[in-house]
Amino acid sequence: MNTKHRVLPLVIATLLSSIPAYAHHSFAAEFDGSKPTRLVGKITRVEWTNPRSYFYVDVVDAKGHSSNWGCEGAGPGALSRRGWKKGDLKLGDTIVVDGYRAKDGSHLIDARLVTFPDGRSVYGGSPGDGGPGDNGTDQGNLPGTKKS
Amino acid sequence: MAQPVLQHFCQILYDSRFGTAIRESDNAFSVIESVHVLSITLLVGTIAILDLRMLGLTLRAIRVTRIARAVLPLTWAGFGVMLTSGFLLFWAEAAKNYLNPAFRVKMILLLLVGLNPLIFHTSVYRRVTEWEIEHRSPWRTRGRVCFAPALGRHHRCRSRHSIFLA
Repeated sequence: MNTKHRVLPLVIATLLSSIPAYAHHSFAAEFDGSKPTRLVGKITRVEWTNPRSYFYVDVVDAKGHSSNWGCEGAGPGALSRRGWKKGDLKLGDTIVVDGYRAKDGSHLIDARLVTFPDGRSVYGGSPGDGGPGDNGTDQGNLPGTKKS
Repeated sequence: MAQPVLQHFCQILYDSRFGTAIRESDNAFSVIESVHVLSITLLVGTIAILDLRMLGLTLRAIRVTRIARAVLPLTWAGFGVMLTSGFLLFWAEAAKNYLNPAFRVKMILLLLVGLNPLIFHTSVYRRVTEWEIEHRSPWRTRGRVCFAPALGRHHRCRSRHSIFLA
Protein backbone atom coordinates (compact mmCIF):
# COMPACT_ATOMS: atom_id res chain seq x y z
CA MET A 1 0.00 0.00 0.00
CA ASN A 2 2.79 2.34 1.01
CA THR A 3 4.80 1.49 -2.11
CA LYS A 4 1.83 2.07 -4.38
CA HIS A 5 1.42 5.60 -3.10
CA ARG A 6 5.09 6.30 -3.70
CA VAL A 7 5.26 4.69 -7.11
CA LEU A 8 2.17 6.37 -8.58
CA PRO A 9 3.74 9.83 -9.08
CA LEU A 10 6.73 8.15 -10.71
CA VAL A 11 4.50 6.19 -13.09
CA ILE A 12 2.55 9.31 -14.03
CA ALA A 13 5.76 11.23 -14.62
CA THR A 14 7.09 8.45 -16.84
CA LEU A 15 3.89 8.30 -18.88
CA LEU A 16 3.86 12.07 -19.31
CA SER A 17 7.47 12.04 -20.45
CA SER A 18 6.49 9.72 -23.30
CA ILE A 19 4.20 12.33 -24.88
CA PRO A 20 7.05 13.85 -26.93
CA ALA A 21 7.33 10.40 -28.54
CA TYR A 22 4.51 11.57 -30.81
CA ALA A 23 7.19 13.57 -32.50
CA HIS A 24 7.90 10.26 -34.14
CA HIS A 25 5.26 11.32 -36.60
CA SER A 26 7.94 13.56 -37.90
CA PHE A 27 6.01 15.05 -40.80
CA ALA A 28 3.99 17.39 -38.59
CA ALA A 29 7.01 18.41 -36.58
CA GLU A 30 8.74 19.98 -39.55
CA PHE A 31 6.25 20.44 -42.37
CA ASP A 32 2.98 22.25 -42.87
CA GLY A 33 0.22 20.00 -44.18
CA SER A 34 -1.77 23.04 -45.29
CA LYS A 35 0.86 24.23 -47.75
CA PRO A 36 0.88 21.81 -50.70
CA THR A 37 3.53 22.76 -53.22
CA ARG A 38 4.55 21.56 -56.64
CA LEU A 39 8.09 22.08 -57.80
CA VAL A 40 9.30 21.52 -61.34
CA GLY A 41 13.01 21.82 -61.82
CA LYS A 42 16.40 20.46 -62.76
CA ILE A 43 18.34 18.37 -60.28
CA THR A 44 21.43 20.11 -58.93
CA ARG A 45 22.38 17.78 -56.11
CA VAL A 46 21.35 14.38 -54.74
CA GLU A 47 22.06 13.14 -51.23
CA TRP A 48 21.20 9.46 -51.07
CA THR A 49 21.44 9.30 -47.28
CA ASN A 50 20.00 7.82 -44.12
CA PRO A 51 17.86 8.62 -42.23
CA ARG A 52 16.38 10.89 -44.93
CA SER A 53 17.43 11.54 -48.51
CA TYR A 54 17.66 15.02 -50.01
CA PHE A 55 17.62 16.22 -53.57
CA TYR A 56 17.89 19.79 -54.72
CA VAL A 57 16.25 21.33 -57.75
CA ASP A 58 16.61 24.66 -59.50
CA VAL A 59 13.12 26.08 -59.89
CA VAL A 60 12.43 28.95 -62.30
CA ASP A 61 9.48 31.12 -61.31
CA ALA A 62 7.07 33.07 -63.56
CA LYS A 63 9.43 36.04 -63.70
CA GLY A 64 12.34 33.90 -64.80
CA HIS A 65 14.20 33.98 -61.47
CA SER A 66 15.87 30.73 -60.52
CA SER A 67 15.99 29.52 -56.95
CA ASN A 68 17.26 26.33 -55.43
CA TRP A 69 14.86 24.19 -53.41
CA GLY A 70 15.51 21.14 -51.25
CA CYS A 71 13.25 18.11 -51.21
CA GLU A 72 13.34 15.66 -48.34
CA GLY A 73 12.54 12.03 -49.06
CA ALA A 74 12.60 8.71 -47.25
CA GLY A 75 15.83 6.82 -46.58
CA PRO A 76 17.55 4.67 -49.25
CA GLY A 77 16.02 1.43 -47.89
CA ALA A 78 12.43 2.58 -48.22
CA LEU A 79 13.04 4.24 -51.60
CA SER A 80 14.73 1.19 -53.11
CA ARG A 81 11.81 -0.96 -51.98
CA ARG A 82 9.63 1.34 -54.09
CA GLY A 83 11.76 0.77 -57.14
CA TRP A 84 13.84 3.96 -56.88
CA LYS A 85 17.52 3.06 -57.18
CA LYS A 86 20.49 5.21 -56.19
CA GLY A 87 21.50 6.30 -59.67
CA ASP A 88 17.97 6.93 -60.98
CA LEU A 89 18.16 10.68 -60.47
CA LYS A 90 20.91 12.28 -62.51
CA LEU A 91 22.14 15.85 -62.32
CA GLY A 92 20.28 17.96 -64.84
CA ASP A 93 17.19 15.72 -64.98
CA THR A 94 13.90 17.58 -64.81
CA ILE A 95 11.55 16.22 -62.19
CA VAL A 96 8.22 17.18 -60.66
CA VAL A 97 7.99 17.04 -56.89
CA ASP A 98 4.72 17.33 -55.00
CA GLY A 99 5.08 18.03 -51.32
CA TYR A 100 4.53 20.37 -48.41
CA ARG A 101 6.51 23.40 -47.28
CA ALA A 102 8.71 23.40 -44.22
CA LYS A 103 7.22 25.24 -41.24
CA ASP A 104 10.24 27.51 -40.89
CA GLY A 105 9.64 28.96 -44.32
CA SER A 106 12.91 27.75 -45.81
CA HIS A 107 13.18 26.42 -49.36
CA LEU A 108 12.54 22.87 -48.26
CA ILE A 109 9.63 20.61 -49.01
CA ASP A 110 8.73 17.14 -47.86
CA ALA A 111 8.52 15.19 -51.10
CA ARG A 112 5.37 13.07 -51.05
CA LEU A 113 5.29 12.35 -54.80
CA VAL A 114 8.22 12.44 -57.18
CA THR A 115 7.63 12.17 -60.92
CA PHE A 116 10.65 11.07 -62.92
CA PRO A 117 11.62 12.16 -66.45
CA ASP A 118 10.35 8.83 -67.78
CA GLY A 119 6.91 9.55 -66.35
CA ARG A 120 6.73 7.16 -63.43
CA SER A 121 5.72 8.47 -60.01
CA VAL A 122 7.16 7.29 -56.73
CA TYR A 123 5.94 7.89 -53.20
CA GLY A 124 8.58 9.85 -51.27
CA GLY A 125 7.39 9.91 -47.68
CA SER A 126 9.06 8.03 -44.83
CA PRO A 127 7.14 5.00 -43.49
CA GLY A 128 5.33 6.03 -40.31
CA ASP A 129 5.97 9.76 -40.59
CA GLY A 130 2.28 10.59 -40.33
CA GLY A 131 2.21 12.70 -43.47
CA PRO A 132 -0.19 12.51 -46.45
CA GLY A 133 0.03 9.08 -48.05
CA ASP A 134 1.48 7.41 -44.98
CA ASN A 135 -0.14 4.20 -43.82
CA GLY A 136 2.76 2.86 -41.82
CA THR A 137 4.05 0.66 -44.62
CA ASP A 138 6.92 1.07 -47.02
CA GLN A 139 4.68 1.58 -50.04
CA GLY A 140 2.27 4.12 -48.58
CA ASN A 141 -1.08 4.69 -50.24
CA LEU A 142 -0.76 7.96 -52.08
CA PRO A 143 -2.99 8.07 -55.17
CA GLY A 144 -0.98 7.98 -58.35
CA THR A 145 1.88 5.81 -57.12
CA LYS A 146 2.43 2.31 -58.37
CA LYS A 147 3.02 -0.35 -55.75
CA SER A 148 6.24 -2.21 -56.46
CA MET B 1 40.52 27.27 -47.01
CA ALA B 2 41.41 26.64 -43.36
CA GLN B 3 39.04 24.34 -41.52
CA PRO B 4 39.08 23.69 -37.79
CA VAL B 5 40.90 20.44 -37.04
CA LEU B 6 37.81 18.80 -35.58
CA GLN B 7 35.73 19.69 -38.61
CA HIS B 8 38.44 18.37 -40.89
CA PHE B 9 38.47 15.10 -38.96
CA CYS B 10 34.68 14.87 -39.20
CA GLN B 11 34.89 15.43 -42.92
CA ILE B 12 37.44 12.63 -43.29
CA LEU B 13 35.14 10.23 -41.45
CA TYR B 14 32.16 11.36 -43.51
CA ASP B 15 33.97 10.95 -46.84
CA SER B 16 35.44 7.56 -45.99
CA ARG B 17 34.17 4.48 -47.82
CA PHE B 18 33.03 2.91 -44.57
CA GLY B 19 31.11 5.96 -43.42
CA THR B 20 29.56 6.44 -46.83
CA ALA B 21 28.52 2.80 -46.98
CA ILE B 22 26.61 3.11 -43.71
CA ARG B 23 25.10 6.45 -44.64
CA GLU B 24 23.82 5.25 -48.01
CA SER B 25 22.89 1.75 -46.92
CA ASP B 26 19.50 0.16 -47.48
CA ASN B 27 19.36 -1.58 -44.11
CA ALA B 28 22.62 -1.23 -42.17
CA PHE B 29 21.92 2.25 -40.87
CA SER B 30 18.48 1.24 -39.59
CA VAL B 31 19.87 -1.86 -37.89
CA ILE B 32 22.71 0.07 -36.20
CA GLU B 33 20.32 2.75 -35.04
CA SER B 34 17.89 0.16 -33.64
CA VAL B 35 20.74 -1.53 -31.75
CA HIS B 36 21.74 1.92 -30.46
CA VAL B 37 18.29 2.60 -29.07
CA LEU B 38 17.89 -0.89 -27.60
CA SER B 39 21.25 -0.71 -25.86
CA ILE B 40 20.12 2.55 -24.27
CA THR B 41 17.05 0.80 -22.89
CA LEU B 42 19.37 -1.82 -21.37
CA LEU B 43 21.57 0.90 -19.89
CA VAL B 44 18.77 3.05 -18.52
CA GLY B 45 16.43 0.22 -17.55
CA THR B 46 18.94 -1.57 -15.39
CA ILE B 47 20.37 1.49 -13.68
CA ALA B 48 16.79 2.57 -12.96
CA ILE B 49 16.33 -0.51 -10.78
CA LEU B 50 19.34 0.46 -8.69
CA ASP B 51 18.05 4.03 -8.54
CA LEU B 52 14.58 2.88 -7.46
CA ARG B 53 16.17 0.81 -4.70
CA MET B 54 18.12 3.79 -3.43
CA LEU B 55 15.00 5.93 -3.54
CA GLY B 56 13.36 3.33 -1.35
CA LEU B 57 10.69 2.38 -3.89
CA THR B 58 11.51 -1.23 -4.63
CA LEU B 59 13.39 -4.33 -3.37
CA ARG B 60 13.88 -2.64 -0.05
CA ALA B 61 14.71 -5.83 1.82
CA ILE B 62 17.77 -6.41 -0.35
CA ARG B 63 21.10 -4.70 0.19
CA VAL B 64 22.00 -1.98 -2.26
CA THR B 65 25.33 -3.65 -3.00
CA ARG B 66 23.63 -6.94 -3.87
CA ILE B 67 21.46 -5.21 -6.43
CA ALA B 68 24.41 -3.23 -7.77
CA ARG B 69 26.37 -6.43 -8.27
CA ALA B 70 23.56 -7.90 -10.37
CA VAL B 71 22.75 -4.77 -12.32
CA LEU B 72 26.01 -2.99 -13.08
CA PRO B 73 27.48 -5.55 -15.52
CA LEU B 74 24.32 -5.21 -17.62
CA THR B 75 24.46 -1.44 -17.38
CA TRP B 76 28.05 -1.43 -18.56
CA ALA B 77 27.20 -3.81 -21.40
CA GLY B 78 24.44 -1.45 -22.51
CA PHE B 79 26.81 1.49 -22.28
CA GLY B 80 29.46 -0.29 -24.36
CA VAL B 81 27.07 -1.26 -27.14
CA MET B 82 25.58 2.22 -27.09
CA LEU B 83 29.00 3.84 -27.52
CA THR B 84 30.02 1.46 -30.30
CA SER B 85 26.81 1.74 -32.29
CA GLY B 86 26.71 5.47 -31.66
CA PHE B 87 30.23 5.84 -32.98
CA LEU B 88 29.29 3.98 -36.16
CA LEU B 89 26.35 6.30 -36.67
CA PHE B 90 28.58 9.28 -36.00
CA TRP B 91 31.13 7.95 -38.50
CA ALA B 92 28.41 7.91 -41.15
CA GLU B 93 27.17 11.43 -40.45
CA ALA B 94 30.18 13.17 -38.90
CA ALA B 95 30.37 16.20 -41.18
CA LYS B 96 26.64 16.90 -40.81
CA ASN B 97 26.76 16.35 -37.08
CA TYR B 98 29.58 18.88 -36.74
CA LEU B 99 27.29 21.57 -38.12
CA ASN B 100 24.26 20.51 -36.09
CA PRO B 101 23.85 22.46 -32.82
CA ALA B 102 21.45 19.87 -31.42
CA PHE B 103 24.16 17.24 -31.79
CA ARG B 104 26.65 19.34 -29.84
CA VAL B 105 24.18 19.73 -27.00
CA LYS B 106 23.59 15.97 -27.12
CA MET B 107 27.32 15.33 -26.64
CA ILE B 108 27.49 17.73 -23.72
CA LEU B 109 24.49 16.07 -22.10
CA LEU B 110 26.08 12.66 -22.69
CA LEU B 111 29.18 13.81 -20.85
CA LEU B 112 27.09 15.10 -17.97
CA VAL B 113 25.05 11.90 -17.83
CA GLY B 114 28.35 10.02 -17.50
CA LEU B 115 29.77 12.48 -15.00
CA ASN B 116 26.89 12.06 -12.55
CA PRO B 117 27.52 8.36 -11.75
CA LEU B 118 31.26 9.05 -11.68
CA ILE B 119 30.83 11.64 -8.96
CA PHE B 120 28.32 9.38 -7.23
CA HIS B 121 30.62 6.36 -7.13
CA THR B 122 33.59 8.34 -5.87
CA SER B 123 31.69 10.13 -3.13
CA VAL B 124 28.46 8.94 -1.52
CA TYR B 125 28.76 5.37 -2.77
CA ARG B 126 32.18 4.94 -1.18
CA ARG B 127 30.46 4.54 2.18
CA VAL B 128 27.65 2.36 0.87
CA THR B 129 28.28 -0.34 3.50
CA GLU B 130 27.11 2.16 6.12
CA TRP B 131 23.66 2.49 4.56
CA GLU B 132 23.15 -0.42 2.18
CA ILE B 133 20.54 -2.11 4.32
CA GLU B 134 18.54 1.08 4.90
CA HIS B 135 15.23 0.93 3.10
CA ARG B 136 15.80 4.43 1.80
CA SER B 137 19.30 5.69 1.09
CA PRO B 138 20.67 8.96 2.54
CA TRP B 139 19.33 12.24 1.12
CA ARG B 140 22.52 13.05 -0.75
CA THR B 141 22.27 9.73 -2.55
CA ARG B 142 18.63 10.29 -3.41
CA GLY B 143 19.34 13.80 -4.66
CA ARG B 144 22.02 12.58 -7.04
CA VAL B 145 19.80 9.69 -8.15
CA CYS B 146 16.99 12.09 -9.12
CA PHE B 147 19.35 14.31 -11.10
CA ALA B 148 20.29 11.53 -13.51
CA PRO B 149 16.88 10.80 -15.09
CA ALA B 150 16.29 14.52 -15.68
CA LEU B 151 19.56 14.73 -17.60
CA GLY B 152 18.76 11.50 -19.42
CA ARG B 153 15.42 12.84 -20.63
CA HIS B 154 17.02 16.01 -22.01
CA HIS B 155 19.56 13.86 -23.82
CA ARG B 156 16.79 11.79 -25.40
CA CYS B 157 14.99 14.87 -26.69
CA ARG B 158 18.24 16.19 -28.12
CA SER B 159 18.92 12.93 -29.96
CA ARG B 160 15.62 13.19 -31.79
CA HIS B 161 16.37 16.80 -32.60
CA SER B 162 19.72 15.79 -34.02
CA ILE B 163 18.00 13.53 -36.49
CA PHE B 164 15.45 16.10 -37.62
CA LEU B 165 17.95 18.87 -38.06
CA ALA B 166 20.36 16.66 -39.99
